[in-house]
Amino acid sequence: MTAILPVLLLLTSLLPATITFFLDQDRFRLRNTLNLGGAIVKVGLIVMMLLAVAGGASYETSIPLAPGLVVLLQIDTLALMFVSLSAFLWLLTTVYAIAYFGRKREQSRFFGFFGLCVASTTGIALSGSLISFFIFFELLTLTTWPLVAHKQDRASLRAARIYLLYALPCSVVLLIAIVWLKGITGPILFTDPPDLSQVDPVTLRVIFAMFIIGVGMKAAIVPLHGWLPAAMAAPAPVSALLHAVAVVKAGAFGVIRLVYDVFGVERMTALGLGLPLAVLASVTILWGSIRALQQTEIKKRLAFSTVSQVSYIILGAALASPMGLIGGLAHLVHQGLMKITLFFCAGIYDERAGVRAIAGLNGLGPRMPWTSTCFSLAAIGMIGLPPLAGFVTKIYLGLGSLQAGAPWVLAVLAASTLLNAAYFLPMLYRLWFADPAPEVAGDEAAPALVAPAVIAAMGALGAGMLAASGVSPLGWATLIVEREVAP
Amino acid sequence: MTAFLVLLVGPLCGALAAIALPGRAARAAAAATIAATLVAAVGLAGQVVAQGVLRLELGGWAPPLGIALEADGLAAVMLVMTALVMTAVGLTARHALAPDTAGARAAFGFWPLMLLLWAALNAVFLSRDLFNLYVGLELLSLAAIGLVALGGTAAAFAAAIRYMIFALVGSLLYLAGVILIYAAHGTLDMHLLSGLDPAASDGLALALMTGGLLAKTALFPFHVWLPPAHGSAPSPASAVLSALVPKASFVILLRLWLDAMPDRTGEAALTLLAMLGAAAVIWGSVRAIAQVRLKLIVAYSTVAQIGYLFVVFPLAGGAAGDLPSASGAWNGTSMLIVSHALAKSAMFLIAGQWMSVAGSDRLADLRGLALLMPMSAAAFAMAAVSLAGLPPSGGFTGKYLIMTAAFASGQWVWALVMAVGGLLAAVYLYRPLAVLFARTDAPDLAALSRARQVVPLILAGASIVLGIASAGLFEILPVGRPQAAEEVL
Amino acid sequence: MILWTGPLLPLAALVWPLLLAALTALPGLRAQGVRLLPIAPLPALWLALAGAEEVTTAPDLLLGVTLRLTEGGRLLLGMAAALWCLAGLAARPMAGKPNAALFAGFWLLTLTGNLGVFLARDIVTFYVAFAAVSLAAWFLIVHDRTPRALHAGSVYIVIALAGEVALLVGLILGADAAGSMVIAEVRAVLDPLPLALLVIGFGIKAGLVPLHVWLPLAHPAAPVPASAVLSGAIVKAGLFGLILFLPEGAFGPVLVGLGLAGAFGAALWGLTQANAKVVLAYSTISQMGLMIGLIGAGGAAREAVPYFALHHGFAKGALFLCVGVMLAAGARWQRLACLTVAGIVAASVAGFPLTGGALAKAAVKDGLPEIAVTVLSLTSVTTSLILIWFLVTLCGPEGSGAASRWTPRLMVPALAGVLALAVPWGLWPVWSDHEAAYLLTPATMWDALWPVVAALPFALARLLWHRKSRPLRDILRDIGRWRPGSTGLSEGFAPAAWAARGEALSAALLGATGRLEGALIRWRVSGLLIPVVVLAIFALLA
Repeated sequence: MTAILPVLLLLTSLLPATITFFLDQDRFRLRNTLNLGGAIVKVGLIVMMLLAVAGGASYETSIPLAPGLVVLLQIDTLALMFVSLSAFLWLLTTVYAIAYFGRKREQSRFFGFFGLCVASTTGIALSGSLISFFIFFELLTLTTWPLVAHKQDRASLRAARIYLLYALPCSVVLLIAIVWLKGITGPILFTDPPDLSQVDPVTLRVIFAMFIIGVGMKAAIVPLHGWLPAAMAAPAPVSALLHAVAVVKAGAFGVIRLVYDVFGVERMTALGLGLPLAVLASVTILWGSIRALQQTEIKKRLAFSTVSQVSYIILGAALASPMGLIGGLAHLVHQGLMKITLFFCAGIYDERAGVRAIAGLNGLGPRMPWTSTCFSLAAIGMIGLPPLAGFVTKIYLGLGSLQAGAPWVLAVLAASTLLNAAYFLPMLYRLWFADPAPEVAGDEAAPALVAPAVIAAMGALGAGMLAASGVSPLGWATLIVEREVAP
Repeated sequence: MTAFLVLLVGPLCGALAAIALPGRAARAAAAATIAATLVAAVGLAGQVVAQGVLRLELGGWAPPLGIALEADGLAAVMLVMTALVMTAVGLTARHALAPDTAGARAAFGFWPLMLLLWAALNAVFLSRDLFNLYVGLELLSLAAIGLVALGGTAAAFAAAIRYMIFALVGSLLYLAGVILIYAAHGTLDMHLLSGLDPAASDGLALALMTGGLLAKTALFPFHVWLPPAHGSAPSPASAVLSALVPKASFVILLRLWLDAMPDRTGEAALTLLAMLGAAAVIWGSVRAIAQVRLKLIVAYSTVAQIGYLFVVFPLAGGAAGDLPSASGAWNGTSMLIVSHALAKSAMFLIAGQWMSVAGSDRLADLRGLALLMPMSAAAFAMAAVSLAGLPPSGGFTGKYLIMTAAFASGQWVWALVMAVGGLLAAVYLYRPLAVLFARTDAPDLAALSRARQVVPLILAGASIVLGIASAGLFEILPVGRPQAAEEVL
Repeated sequence: MILWTGPLLPLAALVWPLLLAALTALPGLRAQGVRLLPIAPLPALWLALAGAEEVTTAPDLLLGVTLRLTEGGRLLLGMAAALWCLAGLAARPMAGKPNAALFAGFWLLTLTGNLGVFLARDIVTFYVAFAAVSLAAWFLIVHDRTPRALHAGSVYIVIALAGEVALLVGLILGADAAGSMVIAEVRAVLDPLPLALLVIGFGIKAGLVPLHVWLPLAHPAAPVPASAVLSGAIVKAGLFGLILFLPEGAFGPVLVGLGLAGAFGAALWGLTQANAKVVLAYSTISQMGLMIGLIGAGGAAREAVPYFALHHGFAKGALFLCVGVMLAAGARWQRLACLTVAGIVAASVAGFPLTGGALAKAAVKDGLPEIAVTVLSLTSVTTSLILIWFLVTLCGPEGSGAASRWTPRLMVPALAGVLALAVPWGLWPVWSDHEAAYLLTPATMWDALWPVVAALPFALARLLWHRKSRPLRDILRDIGRWRPGSTGLSEGFAPAAWAARGEALSAALLGATGRLEGALIRWRVSGLLIPVVVLAIFALLA
């Protein structure tokens, strides 16, 4: 049973996705049942495992692909954190997507790739070795492409092309780095990090830089972030998934794995790699925010906000202090909840009111109160104002930076908070206080669109309000750090 | 033993029957032959797994007096691969080369030529005698040239003639080398050769044979005949030509350099082969990027993919041959051969189907076809994933194994070549994909039935599945190769 | 899972308003939610009266909430609860008006934050409460949605956010140095940098010059009940922060200097204003400046600041509420009655003998050196001056007139005024070493009286010297209007110009490969290449 659980977890997304591809376009009910069913089963499995893993259990499966190429799936606390986030948000996004697409065409393709995308994310989370990670990481690249290009218009195809233009070279760099390191130390398992003490420091630094390029592209680290705003051409559920769970998170998750389970904190410190990474993350945080200020489209602004926010996670990992890591890990979930809310809402504004530009938000608040309340909550959380989840992250990152002896990070956090406020608050102001444009008519007569946003927003609120409890993302992050890093 | 017979003689008989019998009966005979040969190939592979290397000494005469046929792991894999591709092509060609669509000559000529080609391939994979191999190669070239000429256009004839000249020159060079070997050693059996002391003329002999085989394999810079030939042949023929034919001469090279005469080779020569391979990867890819016809893109892709295979020489031969990493390079190369065969045949079959629907294979005319035929578009995309070496696919597994071997043996340059090649492949394969995927006003074309789209889908799917479930392949492959049995985790 | 430990009342005091806030979101209650406001602070009031010794914890909330009632906190909690209650009563007429539910919800949120500041024992709870009171108050300020209110809101939110950030960074620095989240432990180890940040954060809220610029814009812009709590209770959150976190003597001279600058400067500047609420806002800055100065002075004076703040809270609340009542007054007697109430409360703020204000000043005078006592008396002169001017401006505009049930309305500020006058008497034994009889000695009475008398001639002069009032000083208008435009920052790696150039380049390269391929395909070339390769292999093998 223990060996099959990781595989089952993969199959809950993989099987519905595969079957979906072969369904006729108009089999709406069957397709929806399949996808929702898979998502629900997955969440159930995860809840079951959360209890077991919190109690100390772990699961492992290895699937040999070729002599010398083994896919290792394991479930530890860190993996489970990412998997639960993706499973939960997948369920929400599926509900949302079903409502979003309604009776449109080409849904089989969409939901098929959608499921594959989540399966790859699950695989990334469960990977127990670098090469397994890479395989799922690449699979994610491939399965995201059709989602980004889904509308098949010029803009979408361009976005998809830019995405690959960034993704493929970077993954090649990543592959070379993996093979290189493997050539020196043998297979790289996360549970049993390689002994790097004999390796030439310069080589290690180069390999580390290559890793960061490879993984950082997905996490949209500046200057490898250009694809993310372009990818906004995708439909709203895709953007939501991309920004909250799948792609950028996979990158951030990869950085955490890399820093803690491949190189290890001590080696990082000895090589002097933490500081450059922290600086890179800080630059990204600020640059993303500054660029977000300049956007006039809702989704573009949110995209740049993601660029900025995801680097909080990387910053947490780079600080290499327990508090910083806890903050970064917690933000993995926090940012997911908040950003998916924002994108759900952006999608609702687009669908129900035809609003895409920020200027179009004027006066929508009273007309679409649920959506706008969720949007406002998530935005406030993003700024880092209590009691939403974002402030927990900021406190931990701040404490972590001091623990790591990098007080300048506090200035970055402060500046970022102000910048976040500068681009989110005007949107809220427009929503609630500006005079509405007469020709814009919005309504919320689509409960299946609004409900996921409300649930996600409640999640973000709860993650902040109940941060100290064991079941919160923060609690779980603390458990990870205590169990995986501290001893 | 029956399997040997069926594999060698079956397709020959089938070819004869296809010539002799009238239309419908000819196709029935071909179908029966295909089925029988497929069964024989799979059965032989099963036997190899169960019993180890199978040897058939014709007439009971052992070499050097007689001629021996031998089925080791590599041969078994190649035979099954050939059988699978041939079966798929046969299933597709039933429609694509029906007399009313492709014309009487193509419909008549295709079946005998294809079966003849198959017999030649089987012979090459099973032979260990240099002259036998020569005969197999000649047969192979003739059948292949015939298949190119079936295109029937002026361009196809020109391409066929160019191909023929390259093939003939290659055969002559090879034959010259064989003669030198025979003169020096009095035997042409590979096993016996590997045990003999080197002779002075061996270097020249190996160089001549290699030059000939390179010309036939279409390694850069001898690739110039390949794109026009594969681009203008009927698509099912192109599938066979691109997926299988170059592999035959490559396998001979592999056995020659790594098995028969390993002590006559040297680092410098091995490196030269790999350098030519690297040049092929880059050149083929760049040329593919410049093409505007789908079939030419796919053909140039073959040029590039052949280049990958040659990286194996410095990784599994010479000094590196004794390292544990050598078996990784060997496994990876075999994997690449198989996955390329599956993916490339799928691509050519799809290209043919689209040509028949859209009336042309120019990219501009294929706009929006993905909406019309989603199944074959998916198949094309899967094949592209495998060719670009993206996981999970046989292409990735093969590349990864080779890259690992390259780093482990300290020759990381070849890993970079693989990596860059993958990127370039993504570029040239992305172009048709983007075009296919673009939304247009629904093209007023009639889609092919799903039943016909499913064949390439299975081939492409197999090249993907190869990356996930390849236990069987790696069970057969080491048979007969002691060093390949050592696994490097 | 432990929900809480220790006494429940402190937690209930915070949860109860939030529950009410949730109630006001219900569709049926939305329009009438404002009617719930007066009952929201009742548990807190009870807590302040009953007291609680032990620490309350709610380990699962936020990062672990811990609450504790300190002596000063209890005083201010009681004052804030009572004032919020009265202001809630004053807000009842808003029921059924547009956006009343939104107002009620954020009122309750602000209230929770305000009470939480006085109860928090750990820095996270404190920060959350402080952020709640700061940011939720924004909705109270912009409630009317007039251009003036919206502008004031913009200025307010920018400065408040800056304050939040300074506070957060300061608290994080402190928590790291202390290795603890408990305020008392953090306070013991604060370095100058975090201290400065905290002073900025709290100073913004408390109207410390020069961080006060938002206050004269925001307080008058809000509806009257909101102005009352803003100026009476909410500013005290900043003050209490300073008391909580600043160790004795830290930044003493700076605080004294800035505080006195505020105390005198704001009072005098207020004389240039014509709007009664603006004048009151400047009076608030002045009084807060005084209190901050006292904190800087340290010693017994600092100890008595909560006592001083208690009086000011009630009094300032009463004065703001009077403004509202005056606007609603129709008949002449109503205006007179209202003016009388305001006059008595104003006299108390000015420190007229026997009023609560006089007690407050007497209490803080104790620990001060002679010169400081004189300065304190001088501030009473300016306070008297601005409050007389307030009474004048209060009479200025004719109200909308004839509101129904006017008399109960007047009762609310009157009650607040009574509290301002009476509560200091009740608490005098606790907060002063002197007997109550000390307050009745002629010397004390004279000390309290002369500044008020001295202010009269100046007030007369101001009345005679009519001049058009200066517009609001508003250096932050630009910030509020700032719209980030395109600054020409390029986008990632794919700007259009580069893309075009890249395409041209790649087309040229591809063309070149085509020509080379054309050369390779010639027989002459390929005929040559085959022997060359064969020879090369041969050469390398040999």
